[in-house]
Amino acid sequence: MSLAFPHFIVIDDSQLDCFIAEKIIQNTGTYSSIKSYTQATDALESIKSSGVKNDAITIIVLDIQMPLMNGFQFVEAFEQLPKEIQSGYAIFLFSSSINENDKNRMENYPSIKRFYGKPISKETVARMIEQL
Amino acid sequence: MEKQEKIKILYVDDEINNLTGFKASFRMNFNIMIAVNATDAMEHLNSNPDIRVILCDQRMPGKTGVQFFEEIRSRYPKPIRILLTGYTDIDSVIDSINLGNVFRYVKKPWTDADILGAINEANKFYVSNSLLAVKNEELQRAYDELDKFSYSVTHDMRGPLLSILGAIEAAQHMDNISEIRDMLMMMKTSVRNLDDFIQSIHDYYNLNRGELEIKQIDFKELVEEQIRIFSFTYLVSDVKFTTSIVQKETFRGDELSIKLILNNLISNAFKYQKKENKDKFVKLNILVENGSAMLEVMDNGVGIAESLQGDIFNMFFRANSHEVGSGFGLYNVKVAVTKLNGKITVDSELNKGTCFRVTIQNK
Repeated sequence: MSLAFPHFIVIDDSQLDCFIAEKIIQNTGTYSSIKSYTQATDALESIKSSGVKNDAITIIVLDIQMPLMNGFQFVEAFEQLPKEIQSGYAIFLFSSSINENDKNRMENYPSIKRFYGKPISKETVARMIEQL
Repeated sequence: MEKQEKIKILYVDDEINNLTGFKASFRMNFNIMIAVNATDAMEHLNSNPDIRVILCDQRMPGKTGVQFFEEIRSRYPKPIRILLTGYTDIDSVIDSINLGNVFRYVKKPWTDADILGAINEANKFYVSNSLLAVKNEELQRAYDELDKFSYSVTHDMRGPLLSILGAIEAAQHMDNISEIRDMLMMMKTSVRNLDDFIQSIHDYYNLNRGELEIKQIDFKELVEEQIRIFSFTYLVSDVKFTTSIVQKETFRGDELSIKLILNNLISNAFKYQKKENKDKFVKLNILVENGSAMLEVMDNGVGIAESLQGDIFNMFFRANSHEVGSGFGLYNVKVAVTKLNGKITVDSELNKGTCFRVTIQNK
């Protein structure tokens, strides 16, 4: 882990869940910046336009079940991006429930670090940072 | 079975005289195919998958009837097998049952009554077997649907609850009252989502289990009731709600289904408004004439992308990432409209607005 705290991007179609995640992360104090998106497509656009970054890594807190572009579709699109961009991010999946199908699907995406149950807590934030 | 199409049966015998005799006797009763050997029989079976009964002589050169049945059993499991034989030794009877899995055993020389009886019994067995197969398939489908249903329901019920749990946790570290108030407002939305969702499941259950209850419908009264319901949630907002109800004749229909349709379409129109829009509106038009009722709900909200319009009536589909939405409402509407033998169409443009039009017949 580098000295600087990571950046956070929260992607969740529920505004409340975005807000909660932001608050919880803020309370830990272990962050450089936090941004949240209720649409995965917007997050993807922003990642694309930010290009290659040289500062601290960005943790993506990603909900699975979302309309229009769900978590898995987001990861699929993310893995199409240039490797130099991808290496600036670490993706963690979040959901209120996960079925076997989703678990098996996760194996197909090397960029997904881990799955966590909702709601996000300060312990989960600490564990995500440990895994960077 | 006078009007019914004759059932197909296949008779296999190496003696051509037997075949023609058989055909002559029963051609009025059945659609008969004949074969002098196993190869011909296979050809018939291949080109006629709907053959219901196979009769086969036990004594044929090269292959016995039992051997023939044993051979075709796995490839053509559906036709019911009847063995014709002059032999009466117990061993061949045992073989025919154990190896050939025959349904009946008819002794030669047969009488017409023997054959008719055996074929009719075999046909009944065939029909009940096929019904069972169809039922099994239906059951499997229903089971798969239930599986998907329970997963989605669990997810959609836990979602708002876990949001509230998270909010409570976050609020415990807050000192700023206005921040806590914001949090409470969002928790309220979560609670409302969960309640809406449970109401939708209740509607879904009623629609799928309940019988139609046809009675006279007064649309004015119905809409007034809707307005009372909406006044708690939506009418306080800045959306202009106008109604036009023209009922030229008495209308009979299922009130519960019609209410459900109106309720869902109107609440959608209120929910999917554009926040920045200055003159938000929802219009409800009802016209009852010439034996049908036309319900139209129009808004100038966010609209539905054309590419998604084909999916909006599917269960759990959401065309919008708006927070409120379970993917249940329009599915229920569609089920209700179908139940009333009605039609629903959507006319929508992204960022311009949406218009749903439902037509139902007077009962």
